[in-house]
Amino acid sequence: MLTQFEQYAVTSMMGAGDTPPRANGTLCFASEWERSAFGVALALARDGHFEWEDFRRNLIAAIGDWERAETSHTPDWNYYEQWLAALEATMLQHGLATPEELAARTDAAAA
Amino acid sequence: MTDRFQYPNDREARSAARAKALESLLIEKGIINATTVDTVLKVFETKMGPFNGAKIVARAWVDPAFKQRLVADAPAAIAEMTDLPEGMAGAEGEHMRAVANGEGVHNLVICTLCSCYPWPVLGLPPYWYKDPTFRSRAAREPRAVLKEFGLDVPSATEVKVWDSSAQIRWFVIPERPAGTEGMSESELAALVTPESMMGVAVANAA
Repeated sequence: MLTQFEQYAVTSMMGAGDTPPRANGTLCFASEWERSAFGVALALARDGHFEWEDFRRNLIAAIGDWERAETSHTPDWNYYEQWLAALEATMLQHGLATPEELAARTDAAAA
Repeated sequence: MTDRFQYPNDREARSAARAKALESLLIEKGIINATTVDTVLKVFETKMGPFNGAKIVARAWVDPAFKQRLVADAPAAIAEMTDLPEGMAGAEGEHMRAVANGEGVHNLVICTLCSCYPWPVLGLPPYWYKDPTFRSRAAREPRAVLKEFGLDVPSATEVKVWDSSAQIRWFVIPERPAGTEGMSESELAALVTPESMMGVAVANAA
């Protein structure tokens, strides 16, 4: 039985509201940052920096927040924006980064 | 992390910056390294390479009579092929049956046992194929499951679900993609994916 963590993690989401988008059978990423966010989250859980379920709880919460925010300027749905928010939250909860570090880096990367 | 981006166009740029920021921070801290993302994605992106099932499907695409024989008696038709490794029809291959997608019909293969995947034809099974949730949902609501796989089957198209068992192991002959008229058999084989032979995807011209 094939039990690669990566396959397990993604399979465990199928049938649930947080399952990643696919195109013609395979995972699809609209841009490089989506692919990076996906890979980093799986790697951190695989290497034991947090439990996959901790990340999923944050992902489900992020998706729930988006769904509840029914304002006239609710942005278009992008699955990997929720993924990114969940990844940041999980990293902060597990002490892998501080809010200040992430903010400073993001500003630098955007400059 | 900041709200200084005012316009929707900036959402992409902001997300890209956030992803880049956290990845570079984790690399700098030695928590991951520069190749970590690629290593993870390789698990999902690795092409199976030319696998036996692809050669069988490509033959069926170029030779309608072979396709008929394949649907009528898969092991006998496969035995005609000389460029497959020995043992293809043996072991788990011996009870193979083929179903062909076509106008108005899409086939999906599931498996309620764990050992009945046609290994010699398809290679290693994707993990989800063995997942009990996938199997039971695919039997109950195949269109919803296919949609989750990113495959929208038109409502006019009938979805047939084939449950492999110890007695019969099903595989799908996907439709030949449009625009491939001039392609050779080996070029065609490169368009066939394991997913398309299980019916959770279609074969596309590259």
